[in-house]
Amino acid sequence: MRSECPSASKLLEKYFDQEVTPEERALVEDHLPDCPVCRMSLDSMQNLRSLIKNPVEKAAREENFPWVWEKIERGIQWKERQGFWDVLKSWLDVTPLLKKKVLIPAVAVAILILVTAPLLFKKTTSYPAMSVVEYVESETYNVMIYQPENEKVTVIWLFNGPEEEVSPS
Amino acid sequence: MKRILVFFLSLSILSVISASIAPAQVQTRVRIIEASNLGSNIDSSLRDVTGEISSLFSFSSYRLLKEETVSLQKDLPVSIPVHPGRSLELTLIKQHRRGAEVRVKIKREGSDILNTQVRLTPGRTVSIGGPKHREGTILIALALL
Repeated sequence: MRSECPSASKLLEKYFDQEVTPEERALVEDHLPDCPVCRMSLDSMQNLRSLIKNPVEKAAREENFPWVWEKIERGIQWKERQGFWDVLKSWLDVTPLLKKKVLIPAVAVAILILVTAPLLFKKTTSYPAMSVVEYVESETYNVMIYQPENEKVTVIWLFNGPEEEVSPS
Repeated sequence: MKRILVFFLSLSILSVISASIAPAQVQTRVRIIEASNLGSNIDSSLRDVTGEISSLFSFSSYRLLKEETVSLQKDLPVSIPVHPGRSLELTLIKQHRRGAEVRVKIKREGSDILNTQVRLTPGRTVSIGGPKHREGTILIALALL
């Protein structure tokens, strides 16, 4: 028994793959009833296809690929997402009137802060509460200073002057 | 809208600048008091001063002779007659956030009998006393308003 038919072997694969012309199809179909070798070859091809095709199709039908879809969706969302500056720019660009409403007061407030800040935060000298008398001098009186620690009063007392004075107790 | 904003901005800046270059003023309360041991009369308007100095002096009577509020400007002396022949001269030397430095002179017939510089702070009184007046003693109480 010959394993291959020399008359139709080249056309048989094309016939199996349905790639033949109508003339070639008619030729193969006329030949097959008379050639058991070609019929066996064709059966072998069909069996082989079934062996390969059915499991693949079944796996494709039953298999679910959620992670693939998630990845695709993330990619789509990433492309659609805008940056902060794009959002801000689009917000300011809504209308020229809105741009003026935001930018002009902002500039005005910034200038006001720049002008007033040095005045508001000007460094000033702060003295201890107790050092009240900076200096004292008198050519005609003796001077004594009373500055009790816990009192809110400081007394400068003049005595022994040209006139009669009264001394504190 | 823009013009209104520019107007108010200019107004704010001008007010801040004018406030910063305006001459500083300090309101000072001056009270001339006669303290004596004649009687026990204490003027009601002197309760704050007498409450503070009663621990220092043994006077039983405090009488308000004169009270003035003077507005001091830097390096501009203000003179207040104390009693015949004597005057009190106050000059603002420096103003601070929590007070002022004031030069105090007591003059008699044109010459200084006392020259001192004190720091006045809110809530604190500086009293100058000693010279005799009639049967008592003169006290000059200075305080910031």
